[in-house]
Amino acid sequence: MGRYVARRLIQAVPLLLLISVASFALLKAAPGGPLAAYESNPLVTAEDMARLRSAFGLDQPLPVQYVTWLSRFVLGDWGYSYAYHQQVLGLIGERLPNTAYLMGTVYVFTLLVAIPIGIVVAIRQYSWFDHLTTGATFAFLSTPTFWLGLLLIIVFGLQLGWLPLGGIDTPGTSFDVVDRLRHLVLPVLTLSLVGLGRYTRYLRASMLETIHNDYIRTAWAKGLNERGVVLRHAFKNAASPLVTIAALDLPELFVGALVTEQIFGWPGMGRLFWDAATRFDYPILMGILAVSSGLIVFANLVADVMYGYLDPRIRYT
Amino acid sequence: MNWTSVRVPLVIAGALSIVATACAPSTAPSGASPAATAAATAAATVAATAAPARGGTVVFAVWQEPTTLAPIYANQTVAGVVGDAVTEGLAMTDPEGTYVPVLAKSVPTVANGGVTLSSDGKKMTVKWELQPGLKWSDGKPVTSQDIVFTWQTYMKDPKAVSRAGFSEIEKIDTPDDVTALVAYKSLYGPYPTNFYALLPKHLLEKEADISKSDYNRKPLGTGPFKITEFKAGDSIVAERNENYRKPGKPYLDKIIFRSVPSSTVAIAQLKAGEVQGMWNLLESETPDIEKEPTLKLSFSPSNSVERIEINLAENADPADPSKPHPILGDVRVRRALIHATPKQQLVDKLLFGKAKVGSSVNPQGWAADKTVTQEPYDPKKADELLDQAGWTKGPDGIRAKGGVKMSLTINTTTGNKTREQVEQVLVDEWKQRGIELKIVNMPSSVFLSGSWDDKDPRQRGTYDLALYTTNAAIDPGVHMSQRYHSRQIPTAQNKSGQNRVRISDGELDKMIDEAGNSIDQAKRKELYGKIFRKINEIAPAIWLYERGRIDAFRTNVLGWVPHAWGNITWNTEDWSLKK
Repeated sequence: MGRYVARRLIQAVPLLLLISVASFALLKAAPGGPLAAYESNPLVTAEDMARLRSAFGLDQPLPVQYVTWLSRFVLGDWGYSYAYHQQVLGLIGERLPNTAYLMGTVYVFTLLVAIPIGIVVAIRQYSWFDHLTTGATFAFLSTPTFWLGLLLIIVFGLQLGWLPLGGIDTPGTSFDVVDRLRHLVLPVLTLSLVGLGRYTRYLRASMLETIHNDYIRTAWAKGLNERGVVLRHAFKNAASPLVTIAALDLPELFVGALVTEQIFGWPGMGRLFWDAATRFDYPILMGILAVSSGLIVFANLVADVMYGYLDPRIRYT
Repeated sequence: MNWTSVRVPLVIAGALSIVATACAPSTAPSGASPAATAAATAAATVAATAAPARGGTVVFAVWQEPTTLAPIYANQTVAGVVGDAVTEGLAMTDPEGTYVPVLAKSVPTVANGGVTLSSDGKKMTVKWELQPGLKWSDGKPVTSQDIVFTWQTYMKDPKAVSRAGFSEIEKIDTPDDVTALVAYKSLYGPYPTNFYALLPKHLLEKEADISKSDYNRKPLGTGPFKITEFKAGDSIVAERNENYRKPGKPYLDKIIFRSVPSSTVAIAQLKAGEVQGMWNLLESETPDIEKEPTLKLSFSPSNSVERIEINLAENADPADPSKPHPILGDVRVRRALIHATPKQQLVDKLLFGKAKVGSSVNPQGWAADKTVTQEPYDPKKADELLDQAGWTKGPDGIRAKGGVKMSLTINTTTGNKTREQVEQVLVDEWKQRGIELKIVNMPSSVFLSGSWDDKDPRQRGTYDLALYTTNAAIDPGVHMSQRYHSRQIPTAQNKSGQNRVRISDGELDKMIDEAGNSIDQAKRKELYGKIFRKINEIAPAIWLYERGRIDAFRTNVLGWVPHAWGNITWNTEDWSLKK
């Protein structure tokens, strides 16, 4: 097991390098550049543009720019944001807690709601509850988050006035749990309703497959109670696909939600990435892309290791 | 509020704004009618005469995130919106466009003896005297050393946003704590606003790199407020500066700048009363605000002229400026295009009347010459000019001459609805004149990158017509010499030249040089008037309309005054809340 994990980690290094080269090349291939923002400033002269280009290293050949970025990145210097005039690591550091707070809540909330629903709709297949949730989950699955988010803002923020329209707290006030929670409700709801659909559908399908197996019938036959059969025998075996999806979603705790953070003005990683993309702030984009690709590789490994725990038949070599 | 009437536009606008943010130019979009401006100014003045209440907090929404507030780095309009409450310079322009002192006792001029020329008349020395007893918001005194330090820092830091003016300074002598003698190597016309923000020496002299210090987000200034909290991507809190030089001011305790994702959201929050003011509305958003009795719009004209620039040289990569454009190289054709452009209709239909028909490259401020005009909308005249120029209509209704079809391409930024609508109007209008117009739009990061290497078509000369906006500063010196002097035509040798219309006229060059090398404002005004007129004679652009700045407040916020040259936050010390 230990050797398996070590081998997977070593294999990940060339893969991550390849991803970083590809991301860098793609970012640079996109037409345009970060200095467009200086264009409309009447004070900025042609000489200033040339000076800034060289100060940001944008006048260097692309391979040189990449190698400079990589050699600094591995040493912990993630680069200098052109727009913020700050170190990228610091910028990510101040946004990460906000995103982890939002996405962590979404993650836990979604799982807590999705698992019971997924189990119940499977064992009560074709009941009114199954039909209701099937309909609802499909509806939410096919709803774009920006639409759902705006709809919730209009209903609960503007029309009813129950909840704030956006932001992480009321600016200028000191820390207040109630205020924080009130700001959390709508973005969490937006993201969870969509995620809920995915999780319940997967769990329902794999539960249905499992509960018609012979060993489940055996468990019933030997007189185990429903709780034991469903949770210990059926759920544990049916959970594998859910674990894969849930583990693969883990990087979102870091990356954040691009569109939802934008709509709710949430000061997180998604919005940082979005803003950096519109400004061609390459160092921020590269930093986030590098870490998120690393996390995705890692999440895959976590999912594989979790299989072994859930299904002892799986052996690692 | 009616449910159905709100839902659809808000959802669509929200979706659009998400797309549009990616491509929005960083210039402030806005528009104004002079009558509305006068009304808004009058209203604000009346409000300011009543004794203002002291205390209270105004939450002001900005729909872009200020990335840095340090004046030496800040390049966003929105950073200035916040920064104006905090940092100050020696002098500024008032709403009418005249120079007024801020930290200085007076604005030095030749007439008042503050500006002296060298014996050969090629250099100048400007004597700045600070007001007595000035303090930074931390209580430390402001001295002439801060002026020297500001210059040195702008010249030393390679990341400084601009060295305009500072690079012309030879040395600064400080005979005492309140006097600085700034010696320029040349005659630098815009000297009054050269020191638009002072940097505090006592705080920053020990910093090897200002970007790594707290100053980046919490600049120490002399303005009515000081930054006490900067939450990236969320909000910036500015609290009363107890050391502010004007007694009894500011009236407000606090201004909180809240960064929201889009103007749609800002409007929603303004209506809901979550914020009391907001920055930067689009013309199309004004009718919605005008319906609300609790909200009030602030209009101000600006020097931002939406234009269609015309490539005078051939459309090639790179363009050879000595080869004229096969269609647009003829001034009669360019004039015909201007006659064929229904500017008033664009303003009325697309901008809700919140703009003024354009006539000149520099319509505002002391240098503006209000008598400069451009050819009016006159389709018949356009047809005549095109006939004269030898372009005759073929069987397909498109004009041609010597085997060349009169087919042009127009470029603008993608995702800007108003610009796309302007293009569509022109396609129809010009088709009737026998001109085929094709639309090819690009993201602003390409189209406005200003970079030869990033293939900005304006830079390479690979365009026919370019629709966008840019603005001249209160002193048009830099703008004119960078954009209309033949020296600045972009080429492989001079990649960063900004004369993208590729105008090359000996007489114009001479006048631009002469105006740039003079500091006699009356003489310069006369010269610039001639320059603006000459540019219109050569017709390298269709001046579509003058955009204004539009901001909005709830009616309980008093004291704000629109400013043509600055941000709405230029006088936050006078803002107050209705009792």
